[in-house]
Amino acid sequence: MAMRELVTGGAACAVPGSSSSSNPLSALANVLVGSSSEKQERLKEIPNLTPTTSDSPFYPRTDEHAALPGSELDHHQFMHPSNRGSEFLNGFRSAGQGDLVDVWDDIHRPMLPHLQGTESQTHFREFENIYDQGVSSRPQPTLDGPPQRVLSNFLHSFVDSSRGGIPFHPTPLPLLGLSEGDKQCIRDRSSIMARHFFADKSEDFINAQVNALLSSLDIDNDNRAKGPLPGRFRELEEYWNESQGTFNPGASAADGWVSEYRQHRLDGDPNAWAHSFEQQHGTNGWASEFEQEQSQMTSINQMRGTNISSLAAMEQTRMLAHTLAQNDDPKFQNSKFLQFVSKMSRGELIIDDNQVKPTTLPAPGDWASEYQQQYDGLSWADRFVHDELSHGPDRWVNEFTTAREQHGSADDQWVNEFSKLQIHDWVEEFGNQVGDGTLGEKSADNWANAYDEYLNEEVAAKQRSNTSRGVYEFSDMNPYVGHPNPLKEGQELFRKGLLSEAVLALEAEVLKNPENAEGWRLLGIAHAENDDDQQAIASMMRAQEVDPTNLEVLLALGVSHTNELEQAAALKYLYSWLRHHPKYGTLAPPEMSDSLYYADVSRLFKEAAQMSPEDADVHIVLGVLYNLSREYDEAIASFQTALKLKPRDYSLWNKLGATQANSVQSSDAILAYQQALDLKPNYVRAWANMGISYANQGMYEESIRYYVRALTMNPKADNAWQYLRISLSCASRNDMLEACDSRNLDFLQKEFPL
Amino acid sequence: MASSTQLKSDALLEQMKLHLATDAGKELTKKIGLVYQINIAPKNLGFNEEIYVVDLKKGEVTKGAYEGGKPDATFSFKDEDFVKVATGKMNPQIAFMRGAMRVKGSLSAAQKFTPDIFPKPSKM
Repeated sequence: MAMRELVTGGAACAVPGSSSSSNPLSALANVLVGSSSEKQERLKEIPNLTPTTSDSPFYPRTDEHAALPGSELDHHQFMHPSNRGSEFLNGFRSAGQGDLVDVWDDIHRPMLPHLQGTESQTHFREFENIYDQGVSSRPQPTLDGPPQRVLSNFLHSFVDSSRGGIPFHPTPLPLLGLSEGDKQCIRDRSSIMARHFFADKSEDFINAQVNALLSSLDIDNDNRAKGPLPGRFRELEEYWNESQGTFNPGASAADGWVSEYRQHRLDGDPNAWAHSFEQQHGTNGWASEFEQEQSQMTSINQMRGTNISSLAAMEQTRMLAHTLAQNDDPKFQNSKFLQFVSKMSRGELIIDDNQVKPTTLPAPGDWASEYQQQYDGLSWADRFVHDELSHGPDRWVNEFTTAREQHGSADDQWVNEFSKLQIHDWVEEFGNQVGDGTLGEKSADNWANAYDEYLNEEVAAKQRSNTSRGVYEFSDMNPYVGHPNPLKEGQELFRKGLLSEAVLALEAEVLKNPENAEGWRLLGIAHAENDDDQQAIASMMRAQEVDPTNLEVLLALGVSHTNELEQAAALKYLYSWLRHHPKYGTLAPPEMSDSLYYADVSRLFKEAAQMSPEDADVHIVLGVLYNLSREYDEAIASFQTALKLKPRDYSLWNKLGATQANSVQSSDAILAYQQALDLKPNYVRAWANMGISYANQGMYEESIRYYVRALTMNPKADNAWQYLRISLSCASRNDMLEACDSRNLDFLQKEFPL
Repeated sequence: MASSTQLKSDALLEQMKLHLATDAGKELTKKIGLVYQINIAPKNLGFNEEIYVVDLKKGEVTKGAYEGGKPDATFSFKDEDFVKVATGKMNPQIAFMRGAMRVKGSLSAAQKFTPDIFPKPSKM
């Protein structure tokens, strides 16, 4: 069926860019999505906006096309002589892809000139005129004639309704004889298209439009009807909905964007966002991040064995946007680039649309050109285009294909890996033992499960591999971004003991002021107290970059590295502490920092402690040092000395407890932790340590309660999740493992109240 | 202690040693009753290995190869990976599949080598 071919585009659809000549709909999709080369060229124009737009016709009509669509083009065969699709394509008023692109471009162009501000009125009026023309020249679509023409015209009028956002009314149509496949295609395509056309409208409006269209065509739009869809489509639908949820909460995301922009302008610094963007990413930052994301996505698809051949360009971009949205790195989440891509993925350049509204912004054109200047005349569009070109859909698909091929052999790889492991004797033994019945059925299942888990972890590991150690990972969806004084807020929250909230506020602070050592330091402390040493180290390292001699920062780094069993690093920071100390700095010969030996460093600290026995801090550092060398008794003595001087230091109580626990004095440790928690009830680390101490004493049931408590205060405490899992299985509570794996805290909390 | 050659695993195995002397540790010995040899390499599997024996018959952790015959199972790890397995960050079976853990000896003995036999380090 020609119709079906046209809409689905067959296999050609899968490779954007190459599909253009054979599949007009996909070509339109490409245009919408911005992944075709034409679009890229158009994009280049955006920041420069040579005001040629006023000269170019909005609808590139040649005389040949001037009359109503669907009639004269019957003889205009541009692809397949018998392809009725041409009529459908004609619905988009185009005789070839180039024109199609123009049409699309022109739909958008009237809005773009408003960036220039001065010309906006003219252009808008012009747009209005053309629109009126468009409407009046076709007051009523021709709804008779051969089925395909009726359909073409009908769909055309649907598309037209987008231009003014007019509600589309169902119309009785003659029988079109659409096959189930055609219906599916129309249903799916129209829902997707509608979201592009009506990107600025609410979901309800879009649904109403689509339903009106579908009901006229006698196509069910309920989920049941989607049953026979290939699984892929439904998944896409889900992706779509999810990404809608992320990007378009209450259809006001674009407004939010604009108002955020406005806010910047009100701040009086028009460069603000360009600056902040640059700060966050560096000049080349996003390009490389984009690249990373793409490769991540490829690997995810690879692992899932996704059959991409059914995906059209739009879906791909949307998935890209979705993946981007899933990225945990809020640097990225908050980036304008993500928002840009997400808009691109919907073919939506909604900011333009919003700026059509009268001049609430003093000179709306500025931002584009300012942004451009930021990059020495290399405009963002150029960069985007460049990136698209080098990593564009073709390449992307190629990569995917390669990845697929690799994936195809994953099982082989696994086998190979087995053989690499001198596995033969092992396999033999495995065989024998299985034969003996030494291993129950159950353990075979275990292995199977473990293998599944292994595959999942491979995916996760690939995703994580980009976030190497020492790189701070920002949370997404940070409500404190835009807060007038996030540092003050963060300090206040920290003081109240709301650690996870404080982390968010402080993240907002360091996003705003990346050079604020105090922001980074407190963020690091908050993470340490929240039982996350990786993040603590990452933030403290940033604090140290800004303020290399801050003693608290150096001590914190020493402690965190000790916790992570990284002895060399810990020793380095503890020695720096001494070297930068106003009083003890003279003790430390600077040349020593090149080759540090534990014995030397500990000798110097002992000297320092003798110099001023009343200084709690030096005893604390000494205690940490003794932990490094696992001289626990000495460490405990040092901390106890320090506690006499600073009895209300909750973190010191915790240090004492942890040292006692590591030297298997678990019951003493629990008393020390209790002190810490009396002073700071939300001290997640102390709660988790309590759990560890109970678990190490074999009191698993108790340990579970403490882990769960710690996790309710900070669900991101990965260590505690791992330990909780171990305790659950030791306590024979395998029934709760699933709740643990799915991180169902409510459930766990009900089961294990403290 | 020379700062650069220290293994992270040393700290854990040291704690294990102390742990085996506690009631919970004795319980563990009773329950498992097997001898594991663990070869830990700083960077590359099989190179510059430090050898530990975790004797869950006698309740001891010693350095150097096992001298009482054949250990029930022998494991080879990289330092980093041993820490991950012992602290529950990586499941031993997954470590095996990744090639992060090599095993020789009895499979059923190897399967009892799980994160829960190790005490957890507390954090300052």
